[in-house]
Amino acid sequence: MNGPKIYFQIGPVSITQTTVSSFFVMIVLCVLALFLGKGLKKRHGKRQVIVEKLVSMLYGLVEDTMGKHNSYWTPYIGALMMSSLFGSLIGMTGIFRSATADLSTTLTWALMTSVLVWACNIKQSGVRGWLKGFSEPIKVMLPMNIISEIAQPISMAFRHFGNIMGGSVLTSIVYTGLAGISTMVLGNLSRSPIAVPLILLAIGIIVFFVGIKKVKLSLKIIGSAVVILGVFSLLEMFDILSGVPILTLGLPGVLSLYFDIFSGCVQALVFSLLTMVYVGNACPPPESDSN
Amino acid sequence: MSGFESIVGIDPWTALFTFLNMIITFLILKKFLFVPVKKMIDSRQKEIDDLYSDANDSKEKAEEMLVDYKKKIENYRQEGDEIIKNATTRGEKREQEIISKANAQAEAIISKAHEDVMQEKKKVLNEVKNEISDIAIEIAEKVIEKEIDEEKHKSLVEEFINNIGDEK
Repeated sequence: MNGPKIYFQIGPVSITQTTVSSFFVMIVLCVLALFLGKGLKKRHGKRQVIVEKLVSMLYGLVEDTMGKHNSYWTPYIGALMMSSLFGSLIGMTGIFRSATADLSTTLTWALMTSVLVWACNIKQSGVRGWLKGFSEPIKVMLPMNIISEIAQPISMAFRHFGNIMGGSVLTSIVYTGLAGISTMVLGNLSRSPIAVPLILLAIGIIVFFVGIKKVKLSLKIIGSAVVILGVFSLLEMFDILSGVPILTLGLPGVLSLYFDIFSGCVQALVFSLLTMVYVGNACPPPESDSN
Repeated sequence: MSGFESIVGIDPWTALFTFLNMIITFLILKKFLFVPVKKMIDSRQKEIDDLYSDANDSKEKAEEMLVDYKKKIENYRQEGDEIIKNATTRGEKREQEIISKANAQAEAIISKAHEDVMQEKKKVLNEVKNEISDIAIEIAEKVIEKEIDEEKHKSLVEEFINNIGDEK
């Protein structure tokens, strides 16, 4: 398992997979924005209904989390969330590497959040007030406050990075492992007498039909898996299609469903939620509104 | 020069590009998607609110007018009732007048007719008296065949008849 591949270098600037994916995500998002945002009408069509639904959902989320007065943060949160989501999901195309599986990306975003928080605080109470805020509620808290301020972006960055990276590491480990197991199993089966794959085939078919008769999905799946195993061991035996890693057929897909799609969505949500919470805390409602 | 970045490493250039991409994405999404869509939603919402408040106003006005008209109609009905009542009493009065007048007239006619009849009766009675007296004289002449003083006779008979008539 490696970090992002460096395609080429221009002077000191190295163009890596992350750079490419990040640019690609940006282009996709911008094109999408231009496409979805054009030709808005009062009497909306289907496309506009969906766009408006999504946009108003985002506005609702931001207003719920940060308060109504912070609703102008929505475009940034939306951009962050979409970048994170697409940056994670882009790894599933197989062409690009997930942009969020690179610490540079997530740390940049986390630092942007921190800077925004600091900027909000400074805007709220001035530089001195902001610095003074570190020694509150008591002076002893000063080092801890500073540490928490530093830890915040790091934890955010590592959370996102770790989830996506860990997912892809795990998926590839499972892939390699299953491929190894399948060559081992098929090798053993091909060296065994021809009866073994035939028996496997027969058992598989019987289980499959029992599954059909009793309408049980699990029996059908097990049956077809055993049939496939039998067929491929027969093929292996006659040297027709040797070395097919058949065990990698279903399981990694299920894992990918979790590690790529679910984890990608959740991390995008978590990252933007955290940003919303931190920035929202730094931008309290105007005095006239509070109480 | 191809190679790999370290797995947990930070490349400042990648970070810079990410930062720039993020800014660009943010600006474009904001300019072309979020702001116009939000504006559209808000303006539509405002339009709907306006429509609703207009409708509410109209409804209130209509209800007001309804109450007004109901009141007016009630007034008119009362007026109409009064007019009808007046007319009825007047009509009844007139009716009474007409009837009493007619009664008086009828009474007058009847009394006049009565008088006429009485007069006629008298006349007829006189004629009958005369005739009877004539007949009686004739009969008497024939019976007694003796000329008596016609004048005296006549008065006798008349007296007689008158007595009869009175007794009748």
